[in-house]
Amino acid sequence: MSAPSALWQKTRFQMINALRTMFRQSRLKQTFILSFILIFEAFLLLLFRDGFRFLSAFGGAGVIITGRIFALFFLGLAWMLFLSSLVSSYATFFGSPEIPFLLVRPFSMQQIVLYSFVHATTLSSWAFFFIILPFVGAYTWHQSLHPLFVLWTIVFSIPFLFLCSSLGALFVLCTVRWLPKPGKVRICLLGLLILGVFLAATIRSDSQAEDNMQFNLATMIPGMRLAVHPLSPGYWMAEGIMTLTRGHMRRGLHHLALLLSSAAVATILVEQIGGKVFYPAWQRTRATGPTRRKPVMLPHLLNIRTLLPADLAAIMSKDIRTFFRDPAQWTQALIFFGLLGLYFSNLRIFHYDRLPEQWRSAMTFLNVFAVSAVLSSMGARFIYPQLSYEGHSFWMLGLSPTSMTRIVLAKFLLALITTGIVSISLIFMATRSLGLEPQIQQAALAVIAAVCLAVCGLSTGLGAIFMNLDEHNPAAIVSTFGGTLNIVLCLCFMLAAILPFGIIFHVRQIDLHTHFMRFLPLAYGWLALITMSATLLPLWLGYHSLLKRDF
Amino acid sequence: MIQIQNLTKSYSGFRALDALTLDIPDGELFCFLGPNGAGKTTTIKILTGLVHPDYGTARIQGLDTNQHATDVKKVIGYIPDTPFLYERLTTSEFFLFYGELYDIPPQTIIHERDRLFATFGLDNHRSALVRNLSHGLRQRLIYATTFLHNPPVLLIDEPFVGLDPYTIKLIKSMLREHTNQGGTILLTTHILAIAEDIADRIGIIHKGKLIAEGTLPELQTEHQGASLEDIFLQVTYAKTEETSHVRP
Repeated sequence: MSAPSALWQKTRFQMINALRTMFRQSRLKQTFILSFILIFEAFLLLLFRDGFRFLSAFGGAGVIITGRIFALFFLGLAWMLFLSSLVSSYATFFGSPEIPFLLVRPFSMQQIVLYSFVHATTLSSWAFFFIILPFVGAYTWHQSLHPLFVLWTIVFSIPFLFLCSSLGALFVLCTVRWLPKPGKVRICLLGLLILGVFLAATIRSDSQAEDNMQFNLATMIPGMRLAVHPLSPGYWMAEGIMTLTRGHMRRGLHHLALLLSSAAVATILVEQIGGKVFYPAWQRTRATGPTRRKPVMLPHLLNIRTLLPADLAAIMSKDIRTFFRDPAQWTQALIFFGLLGLYFSNLRIFHYDRLPEQWRSAMTFLNVFAVSAVLSSMGARFIYPQLSYEGHSFWMLGLSPTSMTRIVLAKFLLALITTGIVSISLIFMATRSLGLEPQIQQAALAVIAAVCLAVCGLSTGLGAIFMNLDEHNPAAIVSTFGGTLNIVLCLCFMLAAILPFGIIFHVRQIDLHTHFMRFLPLAYGWLALITMSATLLPLWLGYHSLLKRDF
Repeated sequence: MIQIQNLTKSYSGFRALDALTLDIPDGELFCFLGPNGAGKTTTIKILTGLVHPDYGTARIQGLDTNQHATDVKKVIGYIPDTPFLYERLTTSEFFLFYGELYDIPPQTIIHERDRLFATFGLDNHRSALVRNLSHGLRQRLIYATTFLHNPPVLLIDEPFVGLDPYTIKLIKSMLREHTNQGGTILLTTHILAIAEDIADRIGIIHKGKLIAEGTLPELQTEHQGASLEDIFLQVTYAKTEETSHVRP
């Protein structure tokens, strides 16, 4: 058996063992996780189906939008996959402890790069199927399409995944290999920006000749022009699936062949270019000596010590430094919140501020929903594993002259300050851009502040209760029972906090004579009550769990 | 056989290796001693291909580690101080995987697994996941797998960390057996007693330079019969004094 075959066999063994371990877990836990997945998928399915029904209600324009929405959906997924691939490729190529192991075994660089690329693609694509299946299912249901539609979507998805992921992997490999000094980075970013604007302008001018309806549609829906551009892989995918489902085999297979050949070329490029640049790039990531390390926000962190007690400041500044020195962590946070920031800052460009009051009010609470959803995933990804990240060095905190309360408090405060600043600023920016009345602005800000408190409290508290000091992989820490419970509770809280306000303001906009606004103080009271419970209770339980633990 | 010529490596201005030249012939166990940050691990990492040297060459069994990287990997066995193991494989699966990496016939792998697992006391842990093994058992597993493809050159970083006295004795005798059969071993350690006990030749590295080298009797003769500990302290202290005036 050759070395690459041994590697694939090893992966098979790992998967079998992971499944065995999963099946050995308690029935309650298995049932809970499975039920959660099914409920979540069913919820998405119904949500997407209602979305399609809503669009159909618009008549002709709705039909066109529904037809085009597939292309738009896959354009969005292509971006998501590309961004996700940036993070997972960096972590797999340059952060994985497996790479030094493979480098000293009889593998060629191409083999290591190809293996790591497939690994990174798998990591970055699990959410893809989680989203795509209910979407495609809802579309099939709504349009009364043949069930083959779902099958074709899966067939088209695999080359699509590899195509998007290979672009991310190539970008990461080349950037790490040739990333210029900081001064030149700005020049490169500017160059990329100019290139992006140029490409966007080209696509815009190309589509001027298209029919009127599509032109109007493109002005209504951001990204539509790019989504239906013949060179967009999202368009190949959408058009291919649609035509195959309608029985136009030749045109459908043409698009499949287009996707397959592009994915194959992109994968070969990753293998060949990666084979040449990976080793020097890997050396660059290791080429930091013990003598010099740039301080991360050192001057500002020193100021924390004047504001906070020494032990809290020490733990918080250690965590900030660790976070900023791990590109896999801060890039994910940047992508999550950066995209939201980009969207909110463009609300006026999309002319959403000119929409009727009723729509703007609904949009505000949808924005709060979006930021809260991101906060929940941030809580699961970064706040929940905070204590587990301490790993075997937890003894150092345990032996230090500070109490467990203060350790938990330091983790909670750091999470609250960082997520609070970002999310409250985002919602402030969104409500200002939409030009809303102060009452709605205040409600939106109060809700997001409450969600921040609850997500930080729940994630820190549950992170302490389900702390796992033996696990070093953040993905493994998050995907445990505690991690799943954490995200479920955060999402439940989010709904419980947002819905009352959303309903009150929505009903008021529909019927101005209603006395529904008298429920507003009640909604604030409800918000205060659930926020206190979701923040203090888990922190208290987490603290007691830490006290009972042996380290 | 290991041949190192003018090997130099710097990290952000810090010179980890400074024109290191060293020959280790077949059948010799060479022990590298040195204070923390002296360049021991960097040397081993360059020999394995994990680190690229700035200047100089390294050859293993006559093969240049840069030009014939894949061929070199087939003839070396590397045991780091904290080895990476696949946590979700059982010990038996890990052993099988390792053997297949080196294209060893399945029958030989199974035969060697039975023999080496019995030798290293891993028989009762065949079906255990690697993640559930203690540090000592992990070390035993990495030794067992490294001996599987019988590499002529062994590179070992801190060989006895976390091992019990029985396993230490066992490994010492296996290393001795390896050199008796013509194998070459480069071993780094901080524990001077290990060097005194098993090394054919000892080299002391400090600030990337080889500052003393020879068999134990040769070194003792050079330093008026001093113990290895005294020799180590004398030569590293003298070098520290030359560059700074701070006592070690």
